[in-house]
Amino acid sequence: MKKGHIYTLVFMVVLSAVLVFALAAAYEAFKPSIAANERLKEERAVLYAFDLDNGLADADVHDTFARLIKEGEQKGQQVYVYEDAGEVKGYAFPFEGAALWGGLSGYLGVNADLSQTTGLVFTKQNETPGLGGRIDEDWYKAQFRNLPLAEGTTLRYGQQADYQLDAISGATQTSAAVLRTVNQLLHDVILAGEVK
Amino acid sequence: MADKPMAIAKTQLFTENQVLRQVLGICSSLAVTNSMNNSLVMGLGLSFVTALSSLTLSAMRNIIPHRVRMLVQTLVIAVYVIFVDLFLKAYLPEISKQLGPYVGLIITNCIIMGRAEAYAQKNPPIPAMFDGLFAGLGYTGVLLIVALIREVLGFGTIFGIHVNLIGFQTWTIMIMPPAAFFIIGSLIWVLSARAQKKAAGGAK
Repeated sequence: MKKGHIYTLVFMVVLSAVLVFALAAAYEAFKPSIAANERLKEERAVLYAFDLDNGLADADVHDTFARLIKEGEQKGQQVYVYEDAGEVKGYAFPFEGAALWGGLSGYLGVNADLSQTTGLVFTKQNETPGLGGRIDEDWYKAQFRNLPLAEGTTLRYGQQADYQLDAISGATQTSAAVLRTVNQLLHDVILAGEVK
Repeated sequence: MADKPMAIAKTQLFTENQVLRQVLGICSSLAVTNSMNNSLVMGLGLSFVTALSSLTLSAMRNIIPHRVRMLVQTLVIAVYVIFVDLFLKAYLPEISKQLGPYVGLIITNCIIMGRAEAYAQKNPPIPAMFDGLFAGLGYTGVLLIVALIREVLGFGTIFGIHVNLIGFQTWTIMIMPPAAFFIIGSLIWVLSARAQKKAAGGAK
């Protein structure tokens, strides 16, 4: 069956319109659910950075978050502030960086006087599942709790004087990217002198 | 040429299995098979997309201009894949996060376009749907077999449940993509050897 140029053109336009409309409808239908999941993920991530997420149920995450976490500003950055009974316990600084396959973002939690980390968490990463993707595993992230910070601190892998960090075997590039991003946040923001 | 669903099932699941006999869809077979959970979701996602895109493309086969058929196939497949991606994000956020880019990459899975080209464009919608569905399930089956071997040896778990009762040392290589090469390679060998034996037996 031979079909002319006009038919082909009209066919593609109509088909595209129909499919795009169907997708837009599906997207609208799923949107509330997706937004709720994203918010839950974000809140859980911030709690994890403060070491407050000890296996909370989904329903408790929002309550805990609303009770203890406020939005604030520190070192000229929008941060999440952990406040318990009017006392500031820590700050969660957002970070963004480039890893092996794509963007990497998350939060680094530090205590109130910026002398120790409280935890590291990733909210977005596109690393290879099973290799670089393992930066999301607990054993890796847990290494970033209670690391000592001082002016000029640069975190490194391996056995150090007062801490030990292990990279992920088979994911050298991703492991290096994580440290690069975290160190950049430490130097440029958290441990930098007062913002002019 | 209206094939029976059972005949299609047998062809697609065993004798002409897309992964093991046609060696299609290898990329994702190597990538996601270190966990049974991810493999199952990936397989079901792919089966859904292959079944529905074959159904849709077959229903439209007489009005699709021949010259732009590949464009149309890609468009239809992409729509279903985005639908799967949205669905996973809305209801299975954890798995969606772990599968990451591989859900989007279902679009480029050769099995889907292979079935659209080889079957859906010449056959009526219902057989085309079964053909797509069983091609997808054949892929799922292989993924699960490979994932079973890799997850047990690599993590000591099945579907995330600890089964390493004797406490053997887990193999890091099993978690990494090269392990799937060995396993899929061995499966292809076994199936090809059987097919050859059968062919030789028939010739006698």
